[in-house]
Amino acid sequence: MSIPDILYIEDDEDFAFIMQHAVKEVKEGLTVEIIDNGKDALNQLKQLADARVKPKLILLDLNLPGLSGLDLVKRIREITFLKYVPVVFFSTSDNPKDVKASLELGANAYLTKPAGYLNLVSCVESLYNFWFTKNLTVN
Amino acid sequence: MSYQVDLTNCDREPIHIPGKIQSHGFLIAVNSKTYNISYVSENVDAFTGFTAINLLGKNITEFEQLLKISGDVASLQQLLNLAKATKTSDTINPLTIDVKGLGYNLIISHSLNDLVLEFESAESDLGYDIQKTIGRSVSEILSGKNLDTLLQNAALEIKKIINYDRVMIYKFNDDGHGEVIAEVKNDHLEPFLGLHYPASDIPKQARELYKINLTRIIADVNSESSAVVTFEEDAAPLDLTHSCLRAVSPIHIQYLKNMGVESSFSISLIAHGELWGLVACHNYSPRFIDYKARDASKLIGQILSSALEYRQDEEDNTKLLELTEAADTISGYLKKDPDFTYALIGNNVTLKDVTTATGVALIYNGEIDVVGQTPTKEQIAEIAEWLKTNMTDTVYSTHRFPTIFTAAQQYSDVAGGILACWLSKELGEMIIWFKPEQVTSIKWAGNPEKPVEETKDGLLQLSPRKSFESWTQIVKFTSEKWKNDEITAVLKVREDIIYAINRKANEIRILNERLQLAYDELDTFSYTISHDLRTPLSSIKNYSELLLSSNNSLDEPAKKMLDRIIKGTDKMHMLIKEILHYSRVGRADLEMSPINMGLLLREIKREVLSALKPGNIEFTIGETPSIIGDSVMITQVFTNLINNAVKYSSKSIPQKVAVHGEMQNNEVIYSVSDNGVGIDINYYNRVFELFKRMDNAMEFEGSGVGLAIVKRIVEKHNARIWFESKLGIGTVFYISFKTS
Repeated sequence: MSIPDILYIEDDEDFAFIMQHAVKEVKEGLTVEIIDNGKDALNQLKQLADARVKPKLILLDLNLPGLSGLDLVKRIREITFLKYVPVVFFSTSDNPKDVKASLELGANAYLTKPAGYLNLVSCVESLYNFWFTKNLTVN
Repeated sequence: MSYQVDLTNCDREPIHIPGKIQSHGFLIAVNSKTYNISYVSENVDAFTGFTAINLLGKNITEFEQLLKISGDVASLQQLLNLAKATKTSDTINPLTIDVKGLGYNLIISHSLNDLVLEFESAESDLGYDIQKTIGRSVSEILSGKNLDTLLQNAALEIKKIINYDRVMIYKFNDDGHGEVIAEVKNDHLEPFLGLHYPASDIPKQARELYKINLTRIIADVNSESSAVVTFEEDAAPLDLTHSCLRAVSPIHIQYLKNMGVESSFSISLIAHGELWGLVACHNYSPRFIDYKARDASKLIGQILSSALEYRQDEEDNTKLLELTEAADTISGYLKKDPDFTYALIGNNVTLKDVTTATGVALIYNGEIDVVGQTPTKEQIAEIAEWLKTNMTDTVYSTHRFPTIFTAAQQYSDVAGGILACWLSKELGEMIIWFKPEQVTSIKWAGNPEKPVEETKDGLLQLSPRKSFESWTQIVKFTSEKWKNDEITAVLKVREDIIYAINRKANEIRILNERLQLAYDELDTFSYTISHDLRTPLSSIKNYSELLLSSNNSLDEPAKKMLDRIIKGTDKMHMLIKEILHYSRVGRADLEMSPINMGLLLREIKREVLSALKPGNIEFTIGETPSIIGDSVMITQVFTNLINNAVKYSSKSIPQKVAVHGEMQNNEVIYSVSDNGVGIDINYYNRVFELFKRMDNAMEFEGSGVGLAIVKRIVEKHNARIWFESKLGIGTVFYISFKTS
């Protein structure tokens, strides 16, 4: 089982596609795996945890089929092995209530989906810098 | 004769047990069980030659033999048996008998334990038998078309029949005082028509007796009355309630003497069981008419009474009918016309016509509307204010308003009397009807306020007036009285109005609920729509940018077009974001808590400055008293206001933006001021409308949603927002938060 650097749970095909491009643009060789369903994502993460492996970063949308983003982060934190894996919300919504709820349930950050590809690239770049190069101890 | 009376007791003189009778006849009373004589009038001697002492204790049969009584009856004993069997003896009275060869009318009546036998001479001052003319008289009387002519005819006919010097019809008012409303008299006599007599002239117990004895004769005021004696010690005086010879109260005798009257005769007029008035007949010399004539007069009185009752009812009914018709008409208007005020006062028939008032004021919905003659609206407002504390019941009425509410003396010409009713006590809504002042002059027969004089020994003496010359009293600040019918009509129309108000309130409530529903739906709708629009919009922008950055084969025009697509999506994105914010304010519940405004404002300042990056700005934050509110929403409010202040002052050098708050009474007022382009004051009310942008704001980026959001949040907090602005000088926005 290959382990992606970034696990991105997103049901919007277009955004997933753009994200893949952006990730490649930030760093060649950085791998991202897209899962379009909350339930599938949880199952996959459970398998990874059983195999004692984990992605370096989990990005997830708020509204997901199967299992909502908020429920998903809660379930992830219940898996001891994944307790400290960085989970970052990546959502269209900027409702402060969603932000508050996500952080309370254990997300490390909440990002509003940036408008446009160029913004996305710089957003992913700062994510990469923070979680992959500066905070290496976490991983 | 001098009789001391306590003023407070003057209504209590026991006139039904005077212990005496008038001396134009004689009286015996027999115990109703034994038929032994229990009481005798002393003057029996003069009529029969037997003294009272001789007769007392004797049985009726013995009495009959002694007096040699003969006539159309078998025996007095049988007669008494018959009288006992009937409750009143009217059916057997009078009995024509001879006593010692002289003709008498024997009249039997009931007293407590006794039967009273009164012997009156059959000789009458009336030369003919009244009963023969009575039929014609009654038809004359009843030919009167209205109440006034009916009464005038009655006076005339009665005068013709009994031939007294003066015949008056005297009507009692509610307060017991009386007025002469019809009169027929001998030419040389001074008229009494129109004069008023104080209630004390005919005291209450006398009025009660008038209800029992429908006629009353005082044959000669100068004759000495005769005592009624009995053997029995400590015996109660004989109750002479039903007696026709009963002696007259010495006070009344004096009263008649003062008037120069020597003989009087009265017929009671009864309507609805109450003493309506009297036919009062005066003669200036002694006059006696016999029982039959009196009985015939009584019949006329009874016929007149029932005619009165009928005519009075008829006239009252006609009036009531007019009032209730007006009330019905208005209730019809209320059902048809959605304009409530117009329905009440805008048509031909108005609220005013529910009463006989000359003006009406409707105080409803914060407005005063009037019809007819009323005080000014300012004055009406004062009256309404007074009524708020003084109208404790549903309805209030007075015919002497200016004496109660003295401010109304200024305009008593239109408000001598008022009748008011509540529509809503909570809202202070009411209707007031006005009647004008009638400066009435009451012509009293003598000064009514001086019926009592003090004697030398300091006791109060009831002294019947000596002068009957009319004494005029001017009554100011008084209107015509409000009748029960008017109050009834007012209550009816009030019911209809309140029903209409409630119906209308219900309609509004239902509309409100629907509106609230639609409003909620719209919020949900715009939230969903804008949220769902965001995702495809992001895709458009994302792919455009991806195309631009990763595809080197694009030529310049193609790149430009992609640029325009990206700009378009940016603009649309901003709009959607703002609408989302706006609808979120509508959907959200407030989480109120005290807010540290200093911290909040410094944070906003930092964010706004870093976003807009103004070049040369003086940004000051003054006093920052804390407020209570939803911190997320309050942040939004000040972010939008400060953002605007910095944005619209960006062309001033240096830019000046100041925020500060101050406590004022129960409010904290925050102001956000700038030295920017300003707002055209003509657009004052449109500034807060959704998507409204002023002409001079077009060159600045913006969605037209920011201030709409601000306003919505402010309203949710029950706070107020307003602004002052001058074009080219700057703008100050104020928000006032309640501290409690």
